[in-house]
Amino acid sequence: MAPPALDSLPAPLRSLRLKTKQQELLLRVSALALIYVLAFAVRLFSVLRYESMIHEFDPYFNYRTTLFLTENGFSEFWNWFDFESWYPLGRVVGGTLYPGLMVTAALLHRLLRALYLTVHIREVCVLTAPFFAANTTLVAYAFGREIWDSGAGLVAAALIAIVPGYISRSVAGSYDNEGVAIFALLLTFYLFVRAVNTGSLAWALASAFGYFYMVSAWGGYVFIINLVPLYVLVLLVTGRYSQRLYVAYNCMYVLGMLLAMQIRFVGFQHVQSGEHMAAMGVFFLLQVFFFLDWVKYLLNDARLFKSFLRITLTCVITIGTLALGLGTASGYISPWTGRFYSLLDPTYAKDHIPIIASVSEHQPTAWSSFMFDFHILLFLFPAGLYFCFKRLSDATIFIVMYGLTTMYFAGVMVRLILVAAPAVCLISAIAASATIKNLTTLIRTKSKSPQTTGKTTGSKAGAKGAVDQSLPFQHNAAIALLLGAFYLLSRYAIHCTWVTSEAYSSPSIVLAARGHNGGRVIFDDYREAYYWLRQNTPPDAKIMSWWDYGYQITAMGNRTVIVDNNTWNNTHIATVGRAMSSYEDEAYEIMQSLDVNYVLVVFGGVTGYSSDDINKFLWMVRIGGGVFPVIKEPDYLVNGEYRIDKGAAPKMLNCLMYKLCYYRFGELTTEYGKPPGYDRVRGVEIGNKDIKLEYLEEAFTTSNWIVRIYKVKPPKNRS
Amino acid sequence: MPPRSDHAAGSGAAAAATQAHFDSIDPLFHVLRVLPFSFLLPPRTRLRLPSNLALPSPMTVFSLILLTYFAVVSGLVYDVIVEPPGIGSAQDPGTGAVRPVVFLPGRVNGQYIIEGLSSGFMFLLGGIGIILLDLAVDRTRPRSLRVSFGSAGAVAVVIAYAMAMLFLRIKIPGYLW
Repeated sequence: MAPPALDSLPAPLRSLRLKTKQQELLLRVSALALIYVLAFAVRLFSVLRYESMIHEFDPYFNYRTTLFLTENGFSEFWNWFDFESWYPLGRVVGGTLYPGLMVTAALLHRLLRALYLTVHIREVCVLTAPFFAANTTLVAYAFGREIWDSGAGLVAAALIAIVPGYISRSVAGSYDNEGVAIFALLLTFYLFVRAVNTGSLAWALASAFGYFYMVSAWGGYVFIINLVPLYVLVLLVTGRYSQRLYVAYNCMYVLGMLLAMQIRFVGFQHVQSGEHMAAMGVFFLLQVFFFLDWVKYLLNDARLFKSFLRITLTCVITIGTLALGLGTASGYISPWTGRFYSLLDPTYAKDHIPIIASVSEHQPTAWSSFMFDFHILLFLFPAGLYFCFKRLSDATIFIVMYGLTTMYFAGVMVRLILVAAPAVCLISAIAASATIKNLTTLIRTKSKSPQTTGKTTGSKAGAKGAVDQSLPFQHNAAIALLLGAFYLLSRYAIHCTWVTSEAYSSPSIVLAARGHNGGRVIFDDYREAYYWLRQNTPPDAKIMSWWDYGYQITAMGNRTVIVDNNTWNNTHIATVGRAMSSYEDEAYEIMQSLDVNYVLVVFGGVTGYSSDDINKFLWMVRIGGGVFPVIKEPDYLVNGEYRIDKGAAPKMLNCLMYKLCYYRFGELTTEYGKPPGYDRVRGVEIGNKDIKLEYLEEAFTTSNWIVRIYKVKPPKNRS
Repeated sequence: MPPRSDHAAGSGAAAAATQAHFDSIDPLFHVLRVLPFSFLLPPRTRLRLPSNLALPSPMTVFSLILLTYFAVVSGLVYDVIVEPPGIGSAQDPGTGAVRPVVFLPGRVNGQYIIEGLSSGFMFLLGGIGIILLDLAVDRTRPRSLRVSFGSAGAVAVVIAYAMAMLFLRIKIPGYLW
């Protein structure tokens, strides 16, 4: 019957019938296209809600350098000495930043201009991160297909498109290095795994260039140059050495290292830094393996080879240890940086480096942050590991190691949930894909069974039943479980959208809060203050503030700052911390020596904004006290307790930071039923309501008192 | 020819050593040459790896990794660094009595020890539930075992998800609905 029906159709319609393979391809491409659009669109909440603007603190420096790059060209950008930062030191920009992000945005901007799409560079910067997040979904699909199958690839792409751990650093306006670096990281890993699987020099070369792009974009490249040799080492230990591995790692390491040296900020770290020694060690170990393999092939005598093996290993280990010892002792090889070491020893930063421990995104991770950023992936992750261990291959071993190392690091530092997100999505995709495949197989098997039973004879039916061992209610149970799986995945999608909307789409430079009638109240005090600086202060004015606001002041206020978010000089930051912690007269001397004209502080007592300078003040004391012993933390505490009310420490009540934040605040009624001078963040009435300033005068306070600017008075004439 | 050559080389070396010994006129040299080695003996060490040393099986490694995973997602690193109490305490505004609080309120990235371990256990339970579902599909196992695995797996996932959602709502008031 079917053939005649087909014959009756006109020829053009008949040719439109797709084969099964073509149907699958069409379905796959359509799904990927939708996932691509989804990854881009879900990150646009802040653009729709506020406007197209740069978020946070660091991205303003990135935007300012990109603007400079597009206006002056790469050579000027590379040689740029920025005298508006770190006054009076300045900053050599080309040698102190990772240029990958800026160059990428500038190239995109140039491409759009070439297509006659006239857009401002700021629009390109705002949308760079969502664009690369969408591209990351394609890499995740390819990676998943390489590791498991195309079904897992599709699930991985869908999961990674909306995982909050990745969205947090790739929303529109978060113009930061991580935006393009996660794409580069995953691309490098995918290309390397493919090189290992195929033994192809071309793929290894591609992974070296992927690594180069990663090095140019983010300091997190150190993770790649440590994970890949660790992976190679595990393959060697488990007896999986192969020519493919040799070709892949040699090409990737040597070329990647040479390319990385082209980045001035990295320079010779690959041969001089402790963090990079593991990669070099594994490289030489691989040569030894190759050499021994060759000798084993030449020598037929097993006993002779064993003695040769022992001698060679002893020599190699001795020489390697001596070289490492000499390099470290002579200072040629620098020891591990504080940040790197604090990942290996989580308690290190807390005790030794207050400036690392003071950053909120460097805190260790609680269970609720994992749940917030991963949701059901926390259940799928161990199941995915199980499936990987059931089907061990070079590729699955890699993804297991990538997942485990990043999960540990994510536990140590909450910011690194970002790096763990792709790995968790890939491993979870394997679990989701395998489970759904199991369930659909059960459903199909059951649907076949009745027909088979009906057709065969009694004896054959009995035999088949014995072999099949189908479970009771198998069909219905499989359908129920499949619906349950889809329910969990849909809850994941809802959770991710909610988290993106509520928690990760706030510019932080424009604050939003719920009013008493449920509406949204906008606080635009930061921009108000920066525009005031731009229009009302001399162009050469120097602004002193805590380093959090340095990039924004330079980019939006167009003024010189003492310190900014590039925390490269601890002593300079400590000097500012000391000034803020000292009495007004002592602080005045410090400000005179730094040639400060204005002081900017952030104060949340009126609005309830809790990320203000009073809440950050103890870190100023710790950082300042770390360099200048005259500043002691106990001086500002009462029985170890941090207070700002009448019972606060005398030094606290009279230090510069307290005076600047609470100047004239004692006259203000902030909350109904509370006395004047009630701080809505700390929830208490302040202790010093009658503050008098001697060496500074109030210049500007924003509408909601969030940013306060003070002018430093010139020294009095001595007569 | 080769044996003769080896012997000749050995003889030459011995002759050179003897000659060196006789030529030296340094008295300390002679004393140090004889005295220390009269009571110092090189240790006879024979290091050999046990022949039964073998790599653990994949599932053994996986079990260890599960424990590590439980430690990480429970926020054990957080517990080590921040040193929170096992459970918190809050004062009842009405009666003034001190009441134990299991969940640290108001902060997404903060926890007490007990709540971390409980939540980590739920994550582990959910993962194991999915693994049990996979074991239930294995046709080589007896029928009753497959039914048990399937049921246990489904129940585990449901309980884990429900409890995790409950914990999250306690942690974050206003979470979704």
